[in-house]
Amino acid sequence: MKIERYDMIVVGAGPAGLSAAIEAAKQGLKTIVFDENERPGGQLFKQIHKFFGSKEHKAKVRGFKIGEELLEEAHRYGVEVILNATVIGLYPQKEVTVKIGEELRHYKGDAVLVATGASENMVNFEGWTLPGVIGAGAAQTMMNLHHIKPGKKVLMLGSGNVGLVVSFQLMQAGCEVVALADAAPRVGGYGVHAAKVARCGVPFYLSHTIVKAEGTDHVTGVVIGQVGADWNIIPGTEKHFDVDTICLAVGLSPMAQLLKQAEVQMADTKGGYVPVCTKDGATSVPGIYAAGDVSGIEEASSAMIEGRMSGAAIACYLGYMSEGEKNARMKELEAQLDTLRQGMFAPKNRGKLVEKTDEGIAVSMNLLENGFVADDEIERYPGVTHQKGIHPVIECTQNIPCNPCQDACPKGCIRIGKNITSLPAVEGKKECVGCGMCVASCSGQAIFLVKEDVEPGFGEVTLPYEFLPVPEVGERGLALGRDGREVCSCEVTKVSKAPAFDYTNLLTIKVPNEMLMTARFYKKA
Amino acid sequence: MFDIQEKLKEIGPYIEEADDDLLVCRCEEVTKGEIRRALHQGIFTIEEMRRYLRSGMGLCQGQTCGKLVKGIIAKELHVSPVDVYPASSRAPMRPTEMRILAEDGGVCHE
Repeated sequence: MKIERYDMIVVGAGPAGLSAAIEAAKQGLKTIVFDENERPGGQLFKQIHKFFGSKEHKAKVRGFKIGEELLEEAHRYGVEVILNATVIGLYPQKEVTVKIGEELRHYKGDAVLVATGASENMVNFEGWTLPGVIGAGAAQTMMNLHHIKPGKKVLMLGSGNVGLVVSFQLMQAGCEVVALADAAPRVGGYGVHAAKVARCGVPFYLSHTIVKAEGTDHVTGVVIGQVGADWNIIPGTEKHFDVDTICLAVGLSPMAQLLKQAEVQMADTKGGYVPVCTKDGATSVPGIYAAGDVSGIEEASSAMIEGRMSGAAIACYLGYMSEGEKNARMKELEAQLDTLRQGMFAPKNRGKLVEKTDEGIAVSMNLLENGFVADDEIERYPGVTHQKGIHPVIECTQNIPCNPCQDACPKGCIRIGKNITSLPAVEGKKECVGCGMCVASCSGQAIFLVKEDVEPGFGEVTLPYEFLPVPEVGERGLALGRDGREVCSCEVTKVSKAPAFDYTNLLTIKVPNEMLMTARFYKKA
Repeated sequence: MFDIQEKLKEIGPYIEEADDDLLVCRCEEVTKGEIRRALHQGIFTIEEMRRYLRSGMGLCQGQTCGKLVKGIIAKELHVSPVDVYPASSRAPMRPTEMRILAEDGGVCHE
C-alpha cells in the first residue's frame, strides 16, 4: 500500500483551512488540502455581502472576493488543493484516508489540521420533511452558486446573522420574504443586518416558532405561533402564511467527528461537540490541530485568523520557524482576532442582553424586538446629526467591530477612533462633499446622505441600493420608512454607480423635508 | 467512560405525546416516539440508540438528526444534553461503497 507523505495535511479548504495552508506554505512546508466539495472556499463563495471588520480583516470586501484572493494566494505559495476528495478517516498517528474518485488513498502528515467547519442545525415540526423546507445555507448555495431561486415566497426561521443575511439575499434574488420568525425574544444578529431586511418591509416575529408546514407533497403554507415561557405555543397566537419555501437558520454544529476518531480529547459544550485545544489550535494529540468553526462556531473573518495561527504553530512545531518568530507572528494575529471579538456580539456576551452601548447610550429595544430602530430612538446616536448642507446620517447603533466608514470619508467627517467597536460619530465641523463613499463602504448599509432644501420644501436622501433592476432617474415611487412602511411618494433624482462602490449603487430620492429622517428605502410604485 | 450505575436510574413510565409520530431521523425513518420508547426499554446512549433503531446511521450519518436525537434522549433521561454520552466516531466518516473499501490498497485478493 502506497502512503504519500506531506509536512502538513489540511482537511477542509474553507477560510480556516486555506489560511493555515498558506501561512505554513510561506514557511516552506509541503502542504496539501483536501475538500469533499467540487469547489474550494467553504462557505466563502456563497457570501455575496461585504464583510465587517477593519482593513486587515478585509472589511467591505465581499466574501467570494476574499475566497478568490485566498485561492490565488494558496496557488502562489504552492499549496496543493485537491477537490472532490473526501477524508473518511483520521488516525492518531496522523494517517489520513481519502476517497478520491473510485479510489481510497493514504496520506501521512507530520502535522494534520482539521478545518472541517460546521453543519446546519435542524428543527422538527409537523411537515418538516416536506420538499420546500430547506436550510439557509442550502438556500444560499442554490442562489449564489447555482443561480437557482429557492422559491417564490419564503418564511425565514432564525434572526441570527445567517437568517438575516440570507433573508436579504433571498430578496435580492427576487424572492418575497413574507416574515422572519425566531423563538428567541430578541434579534440575534447584527442590528444593521436586521434593519436592512426590515426596511424592505419584512415583518419580524420574535418569540415565535413554526407550528407546522402545510402541504401534501410540497410546502404550500406555514403556521407560526408565539412561544410562552415554557417554550410551548400559546394557543390562539397562530398565524398562517402562504409560502412555498421555509428556510431554517437555527444555528450550526461543529463537524468534529474526525478529531474524535483521532482520539483527540473532546468537550461537549453548549456550542457543540468540540476538540479541547489551545488558542493556536493544538489538540491533545501532538501534531493534530483544529481551526475555524470545527473548534467552535464563529464567522469567516475569525476562522481565517485562527487558520493563520494554526499554520504558524505547525510551522514552528515542525521546525520551519523558530519559537521567537512564531511568538511574534502569534502576537500580531492574536491582536487581530482580539479586535474581532470585541463589542456587543463578543463571545463573552453571547445570549446576554446588552442594554447600553460603550458610549452609555441606550440600545434600541425596537431594533431588538422588531428589527428596526424607531424614529424617536434614532436621534440619540452620534452618527445622526442635523446639519445645513449635505451630510451623512449613520444609523449604526451597536458596538460591532467594523470601521471602513472612517477610512472611506476623504474629508474626515466620520470618526470611530482607535477602538474599532465604537459607534461612528459625524463631525459637524468637517465639510461633507456628498461623494457617497461612506454609503457604499458600509457593510451594514446603514449610512445615508441627507440634504435639506434642494428645492422649496423638499430635500434628498441618498441610500445604498443592491437590488436589480436599478431604478432610473426620474422614476417615481414610494419612500419606505425604517419599518418598511410607505411614508410618502418620491422621485429618483440621481443614480450613482462607480467601480469604487463595488456594486452598492447609490440611489438619491427627493422627499419632503419632514421625511428626510424617516425615508430610508425606495420601492417602485 | 460513563458510570454504568446511571443506567439503572428510574426514569418513570413512557407517556405518549401528541407528536410521537414525528420523523426525527429522515434517512432511516425513525420517529420521536420510537426513540422515547427505546429509552424506556433500557437504551441509554446514542451509540446504543444507533445500533437499536439505526437513527443517525443513514446517508447523512446523523448530521441532521444527531443534535435532535440527543435532545430527546436528554429530556427523557432528565439530564442535560451535554451529559448524554456521545456516539463513537469511526471510519468511514462518510458513506463509502463497499467495493471501494474492498479494493483499498490495490487488489485485496492477490
